[in-house]
Amino acid sequence: MKRKLFLVTAALPLVLTDVVAQSTCNTALPVTAGLYTVDVVDGTEVPMPVCAPNGTGASAGKWYVYTPTDNYTVRVSTDLSQNTGKDTRVHIYTGSCGALVCHAGDDDSGAGYLSLIDFSVTQGVTYYIAFDNKWNSTGFDFTITETPFVEPPVYPVTFTENYFPSITGDYKIAIADMNGDYLDDIVTVSPNQVQIHYQQVSGAYTNTTYPVNITYLPSWSMAIGDIDKNGFNDLVLGAGSGVTFLYANATGTGFTEVTGSQYVFSQRTNFVDINNDGHLDAFVCHDVDPNVYYLNDGTGVLTFHQGGLGDHDEGGNYGSVWVDYDNDGDADLFIAKCRGGSSTAKFNELHRNDGNGVFTNVSTAANMYDPVQTWSSAWNDYDNDGYMDALIGASSFTDGSHKLMRNNGDGTFTDITSGSGWETNTQSSIEYVTFDFDNDGYADVMGGNQSISFNNGDLTFTPMSYSFPVGSVGDMNNDGFLDVQNGSRIYMNDGNTNNWLKIHLKGTASNINGIGARVELYSGGMKQIRDVRSGEGFRHMHSLNVHFGVGTNTTIDSVLVHWPSGTIDNVLAPDVNQSVLVIEGAHPLGLLEVDGQKVELYPNPASDQLSIKNLNAEDVESMRIVDVQGREIMTLGQPSSTLNISSIQSGMYILQVDLKNGKRYSDSFIKK
Amino acid sequence: MVRTGLFFITVATSVIFYTACKKVEPIEIPDPGTPSNKVSLVLSIVPYQKLSSYRFFQGDIKNQQPADGVMEYEPISSLFTDYALKKRFIWMPDGKSADYVADSDILNFPVGTALIKNFYYDHVMPGDVTKILETRVMIKKASGWIFAEYIWNEEQTEAYLDMNGGYVDITWNRNGQELSTNYRIPSETECKVCHKLNDVPIPIGVKPQNMNKNYNYPDGVKNQLQKMIEMGYLSGSLPPNINTVVNYSDATQPLELRLRSYLDINCAHCHSAGKHCDYRPIRLGFSETVSKTNMGLCVEPGEMIDPAMNYIISPSNINRSVMHFRLNATNESVRMPLLGRTLVHQEGVQLLEDWINSIEFCE
Repeated sequence: MKRKLFLVTAALPLVLTDVVAQSTCNTALPVTAGLYTVDVVDGTEVPMPVCAPNGTGASAGKWYVYTPTDNYTVRVSTDLSQNTGKDTRVHIYTGSCGALVCHAGDDDSGAGYLSLIDFSVTQGVTYYIAFDNKWNSTGFDFTITETPFVEPPVYPVTFTENYFPSITGDYKIAIADMNGDYLDDIVTVSPNQVQIHYQQVSGAYTNTTYPVNITYLPSWSMAIGDIDKNGFNDLVLGAGSGVTFLYANATGTGFTEVTGSQYVFSQRTNFVDINNDGHLDAFVCHDVDPNVYYLNDGTGVLTFHQGGLGDHDEGGNYGSVWVDYDNDGDADLFIAKCRGGSSTAKFNELHRNDGNGVFTNVSTAANMYDPVQTWSSAWNDYDNDGYMDALIGASSFTDGSHKLMRNNGDGTFTDITSGSGWETNTQSSIEYVTFDFDNDGYADVMGGNQSISFNNGDLTFTPMSYSFPVGSVGDMNNDGFLDVQNGSRIYMNDGNTNNWLKIHLKGTASNINGIGARVELYSGGMKQIRDVRSGEGFRHMHSLNVHFGVGTNTTIDSVLVHWPSGTIDNVLAPDVNQSVLVIEGAHPLGLLEVDGQKVELYPNPASDQLSIKNLNAEDVESMRIVDVQGREIMTLGQPSSTLNISSIQSGMYILQVDLKNGKRYSDSFIKK
Repeated sequence: MVRTGLFFITVATSVIFYTACKKVEPIEIPDPGTPSNKVSLVLSIVPYQKLSSYRFFQGDIKNQQPADGVMEYEPISSLFTDYALKKRFIWMPDGKSADYVADSDILNFPVGTALIKNFYYDHVMPGDVTKILETRVMIKKASGWIFAEYIWNEEQTEAYLDMNGGYVDITWNRNGQELSTNYRIPSETECKVCHKLNDVPIPIGVKPQNMNKNYNYPDGVKNQLQKMIEMGYLSGSLPPNINTVVNYSDATQPLELRLRSYLDINCAHCHSAGKHCDYRPIRLGFSETVSKTNMGLCVEPGEMIDPAMNYIISPSNINRSVMHFRLNATNESVRMPLLGRTLVHQEGVQLLEDWINSIEFCE
């Protein structure tokens, strides 16, 4: 009895020492390179902030402190054979206890659920290594290994996680400006309410909820646009059995539900002016039947239609995106498709908009009729040649892999996946969206598990891993760098030194959001284009503001907005790093059509020869080329539909054409 | 639901694309030459407008008493559809019979076959009554299987053909617990999501592996396949041993066998080659889940819902297992199965949980 008692009292101080030594940051155990054993994760201080994936939820930690004697690349690993079957998570901090800063962290990079993290350390700096019991408290071994310093991979941009517990609701999948100040707001939907976090000029958010009973929730997707042109955006919600519209009232202080009786197994939803009558219509991908759409009578009343926009009996329609692939001024429809087995419902479709609501299925002729199992595609001009290219992102590799399709400019596409980096990308996802996340002037692709594939500017892409999957994209702190919202978390883009420009649109003859507009930016001999879209990728809604990165360029020659109505606005030389509001018709450029035919310059950009389509030389009185400051560069006495421009310097110019009937036509082009 | 002056109009021109509507025929003339106590199924006319026109049931049809030649059966493990109860029947024309193909394949049924399935609840509130909601009939024509969906009237005297689907609010008492759901009656399109192989309509449950059990018939307990032979509905010989599922509710059976049986009847109609979701990596048919990898053990999901759930099934960790999350969800964009339920099948989730916890390592 006595002996037993003695043993207990003797052991107690030892145990206490052990717990205290690693229980908190302040009592972290000093370590150097070597092998260590964690008996059990039971320390009282939970490692915060969370530097590893998979969020909060731990209730205990184990703390170590490490101060390197040289610059190293250090590996902390639990990926050891004796740990097989265990589940660990580790956080690496700099800073001081009570004011720790995440330096690195890992959950599952080792085998199974073991952790493995490499990070750079600087001689003399103190690093805290903390394990938590997010998954369990079982003890394990870990190693610290020092190797010669290796330059870590350079991320074009990094993102900082911000947790907003006030963002609540069943469906946190939408960003858009909801009150006309062009600052991106956060919209969530629940069965009985819409919640909006309004972004303020100060950077703060105000949170308002609007009660409304909703029949069909946006379980599959959601899009935003102003159907009734009252200045406040409306919502289309795509559910598994139907579609609900929420109309914002005239003061933006409430919503009214309108729900159709039709059975729709919704997938991607879009707002777009399908018949180009100036009013926003809605399109909904149907999983198991022909696609459906809702045409707007001009007062916001929608009429259900089915047929003509992807009519496969079995559906297979997952990711619709409206894009002007043939540069004819109206939005065409690409549908990313998916279906198991030998069903032809899995073949992607491209529908060319021929105007007046008439569409032609050109999938095969355009080389886009492909069975790859895909739920969404990302369309942008990846090589800045003036034509929209496509990244068809695989959701599964059973019927082919990712496809990078280059737009040839003649209505066809060429598969240039080989050598692009996409052929070796084995990550898949249901969401692929494209934005210029690093503002270098080349559009990137977010998608493929948790990664952004950065566009190297030469039609190759480099995937970089991040801690978050695809979410809604917008500028959530109005700094010109695009951020990502995922649930109640905003991953704020830390930015870099690149410059940018944002364009805010307000349509008059066209829909008020400018959805379907083509925006061209000319800067430093480079032309970039964007199509304004409501609904891309698979599920989320992204900002309606147009965002361009312009890299190190400090000046922009001009921005052209081609509105769905045909109006062109030309904003000359806007400053970089600002937002410009373009109201339809406020910056007129010139005539668009001659005898009902659209006049076009091609190729654009051009090197030596510039041709003019749909312009009869006999109708021309005179022609001249002016630069963006309005100075005349060249006069052409002999009208011709092909001009020799080899003698003029690289840059942006405007061709002015005076017709014999007294009208003047002008359009811009780029000299390479 | 709030409605304003804004409303929808279905435009007539679109109806031709609306597959759910196009097969309804306003004809209902059972063969006048058929005696009144025999099933009438005229292939050129069906589907009839009324369920009673087939004469599948004798007496008051709500009693679900099969007519002569209509054989009742029950799969060993059954699909979960919001705890609805079901009665299932097979009928074939005189002199016609099905053939055995394989334990895991549907029987090769003759043209003229009808598969009938009533969906009902007991203890429906108020009134604590039995209420039949729908009867799903699959009929094999020369051109292939067709779907005929019948919705029962309040009086339970008749069910009418309706291929557009609908909802029924229902509250019932299940083992002392009151449950409610907005029960979904499928449209023709929804029927086909599950009932197809490479776009061709097919039945699901009528496979030897699911039928090979005893059933209490009015004339005694018999093996269902033997009963089919006895009735002339199954010809040729059956193999001596049929690789048979177990009843997943039977706790005396091995855990893994129970789960495999559950996954087969609830999931394999999409997660098999040629089916709706065959591009996803799992294969959940009973004959295929001998491989735990086919079940998703340590297989990365095609769609990441949460980075923490990095495998479809993670050994001993339900919180990192996507399958568990999906079976336990009601949000229709993440729940599994995709169609056919709005409630969580607690017993099924528990079964999966028990099995996951029994698995220690990746294979």
